[in-house]
Amino acid sequence: MKRLLPSLRAKKRYLAFELISEAPVSRSDLIKEVMYTASSLLGDITTSECDIKVLGFEDSKGIIQCSHTKVKETRASLATLTRINGKRATLHILGISGTVKRATEKFLQNRTTFESEINIKSKTAEE
Amino acid sequence: MGKPKFYDFCVHAVPDGENTIEQLSTLARHLGYSGIALANHSDKLPQSQPVLPTTNEFEVFRGIELVEENPSKLHGLIGKFRKSVDVLIVHGGSETINRAALENPRVDILNHPAFDKSNGLNQVLAKAAAENDVAIGLTLRPLLHSRGPRRVRLLSDLRANLDLARKYDVSLLLSSDAMSCFDLRSPMETLALAEICGLEEDEALEAITTVPEKIISRSRPDPGYIREGIEVLEEGDCF
Repeated sequence: MKRLLPSLRAKKRYLAFELISEAPVSRSDLIKEVMYTASSLLGDITTSECDIKVLGFEDSKGIIQCSHTKVKETRASLATLTRINGKRATLHILGISGTVKRATEKFLQNRTTFESEINIKSKTAEE
Repeated sequence: MGKPKFYDFCVHAVPDGENTIEQLSTLARHLGYSGIALANHSDKLPQSQPVLPTTNEFEVFRGIELVEENPSKLHGLIGKFRKSVDVLIVHGGSETINRAALENPRVDILNHPAFDKSNGLNQVLAKAAAENDVAIGLTLRPLLHSRGPRRVRLLSDLRANLDLARKYDVSLLLSSDAMSCFDLRSPMETLALAEICGLEEDEALEAITTVPEKIISRSRPDPGYIREGIEVLEEGDCF
């Protein structure tokens, strides 16, 4: 099928995020949970308008795509993510950009992850 | 005016919550807050006063969340703790307690006013809150952790309280009410969630920046402050 003209394509925003979690999380679990929390907070109709997609997730950092008019709704729904696969987790959005390249350059490269620190934290809390 | 400073005025640390205040403040700082208030419930206070970690750009304020069923005892507790804390929160939840808290000008914030089948506020209480300058606390933790019918209930209570607060000009305060590190959310996400729940953009921003600042300036008055309306000015300050 012929690709849509650039002017006709839906405009998007890319949210760079880090995941702070008790245990390592797989990509598929994250995607499942993101979609579930979104439809639970916003309802199926608004969620479909948000056009949420998890583009990449590696090393507890990644990028989520959403519609450029629904950034607020997407952010709110991501904030309500509390558990992934029964383990507690928090999604922290580092920044928003209009292109994947810029989002990666600006927010994901050369960043020390906070994750290791929080892992120690949850362990000390359990003891 | 530069970047706004964000505050989270209700976090619970060990032994009330799960994590220590150092862990909570490290994460809060990482998320972009300028300050948090440690507000453990009054029935679960640690034996000794905790040492609050404070650096130049991040401050931990001393606070308390009073839990009490009896209004006259509540007033006693307020008198006991007011001098030693910066932020005094009352954990609401019954008509008498809500009323006692909102009618006492020494209280800063009333959290969780809702009970049984009521949103916890009415026009009388809202007026009292505005007169005594007690803020109504909107807490995130219940919204994050509940799903389905329970969250619907919470949101409709929140909206009813919001309508009253707008009508009588009561200040609102957004806080996480975090029990552990995983309950903290960054300021921008808190704002987004608040806006989805029905607050206007400027209301939400005020509830996380200027209202906390006002509470702190009230409990830590300037050195020249004598009482409301009377202040000793330095020579240079006059004109």
